[in-house]
Amino acid sequence: MKSYLTVFRLRLRMELQYRGAMLGGIICQMVFGLILIALYRALYASRPQTMPVESVVTYVWLQQAFFRMLLASDPDLTDKIRTGAISYDLCRPVNLYGFYYFRSLALKMTGSLMRAVPMLLFAAVLPAGWRIGLPSSIPGLILGICALALGLLCVSAIENINMGFTMRTLDSRGVQAMLNLLMTLLCGNILPLTLFPDSWQKVITLLPYAQLLDAPIRLYTGVYALSDAVRVLGVQVFWTILLVFFGTWLWRHNQKRLILQGG
Amino acid sequence: MDTIKLYIRSMGMLLKSQFQYPASFFMQTLAQLVMEGGEMLALILVIDRFGHLGRWEPGDLFFFFGIMSVTFYLTECFGRGITGAFPSMVRMGQLDTLLIRPRGIVTQVLCSAIDPRRITCIAVGTTALVIGSRLSAVRWTFAKAFLMAEAVSFGFLLILGLFMIEAIFCIHSVKSVELVNAVTYGGRSACQYPATIYPRPLRVLFTAFAPFALVLQVPAGYILDKPLFDWPAWTAFLCPLSGAVLFGVIYMLFQRAMHFYRSTGS
Repeated sequence: MKSYLTVFRLRLRMELQYRGAMLGGIICQMVFGLILIALYRALYASRPQTMPVESVVTYVWLQQAFFRMLLASDPDLTDKIRTGAISYDLCRPVNLYGFYYFRSLALKMTGSLMRAVPMLLFAAVLPAGWRIGLPSSIPGLILGICALALGLLCVSAIENINMGFTMRTLDSRGVQAMLNLLMTLLCGNILPLTLFPDSWQKVITLLPYAQLLDAPIRLYTGVYALSDAVRVLGVQVFWTILLVFFGTWLWRHNQKRLILQGG
Repeated sequence: MDTIKLYIRSMGMLLKSQFQYPASFFMQTLAQLVMEGGEMLALILVIDRFGHLGRWEPGDLFFFFGIMSVTFYLTECFGRGITGAFPSMVRMGQLDTLLIRPRGIVTQVLCSAIDPRRITCIAVGTTALVIGSRLSAVRWTFAKAFLMAEAVSFGFLLILGLFMIEAIFCIHSVKSVELVNAVTYGGRSACQYPATIYPRPLRVLFTAFAPFALVLQVPAGYILDKPLFDWPAWTAFLCPLSGAVLFGVIYMLFQRAMHFYRSTGS
């Protein structure tokens, strides 16, 4: 376990190096947030909905703030798979899946937290109607943070499954690109899941993608009541365990039939 | 004329090389379909929930989405050298080899890449345009068809120009600058919907600085018989020219920036 934590810590430090490049990314993400909110405000102005617009605004800001959690993937690993350098990793006395699971966890956590803090500060000082709302309650906030942590564990498991497929096809731009794009739609980044047709939401909120950001945000805004919390967290834990098991199986299977490219 | 022949020949060669891996190409093209299809699904769901957006009916919204999508992805397809490949050309030092050849830099960069995978995105955009023009019962005339072609071609120049801003930054700082994405991809996201729905700062940004509203949306309003602004009808034919103006200015800035180009040496 200790070696995995070291991998996690090393990756964390590495991510903290690129602070300059981050600033441009943050400003860009803020503009995107403002555009989306302007759009939803205009839509609400022409036809109000049962869910208040403030809730949608909060949803958009939280999605934008933690966007990095979704699509940040390990560029080294893709290269290693293509060049065959992954064979060096096979020599390490650690489980390959665990090694990369904790790397990706660190990458996604630092990447999103470093962006989220300035973004959320910015979103908090905007004029009323544009600013991010306060959490519905203190327990709601705490449960939201717990759910976000579970979402992080879940998204790293999904990432490792994508990588497992890359090992088979050697090309990260086909199936995996498609899975990533499905992710942005089904986790509520393109359009908040709360604005999907109500009948669709019953199914979509149970899919793994909704566990990443949608579930934490709904706990924060109070769309999920506190009495639902056990069920919501339970679904998250269920998917995380299932996806980790599937990923481990896939990686072990891949290792057995691994053919190295090049040398 | 010679330049155009050169461009077409380069495109032919690049296409041939792309089709060498048909399975990979097919999968990537499908992924693009999922991407743009997702965007369109979001629009359909928005229309399903909200019905209309002020004075804009569902058909109008499909039309605005379609004209933006077709123009943007035509640019990404044929202007790939500028919109995608340039930052890595600077970083890897490939730009140096272009400097010793007897052609303009922009020409050579444009000739260096094409992205045929975008064909599915363009198809989605075209579908949206057809749905939009059906739903809004557009009466097509010769003038409207001409205006449509004019808007898309000048839109091409506009988007190419905006991506060249990133190229200019890139020449100075080597690293690609994510900030410019706010007007390129941000502009695409925002101007899938008519610019008049936005508050003043955003409206000014997308009318005066990154004039998507002038180049694409004023003509779209004319075609839909619902003027975007209260301007006389003939302005619809004049407004798209602003795309060429923007491109011209940025082209000059780009040429100046090239004087400061220092190779990364790798």
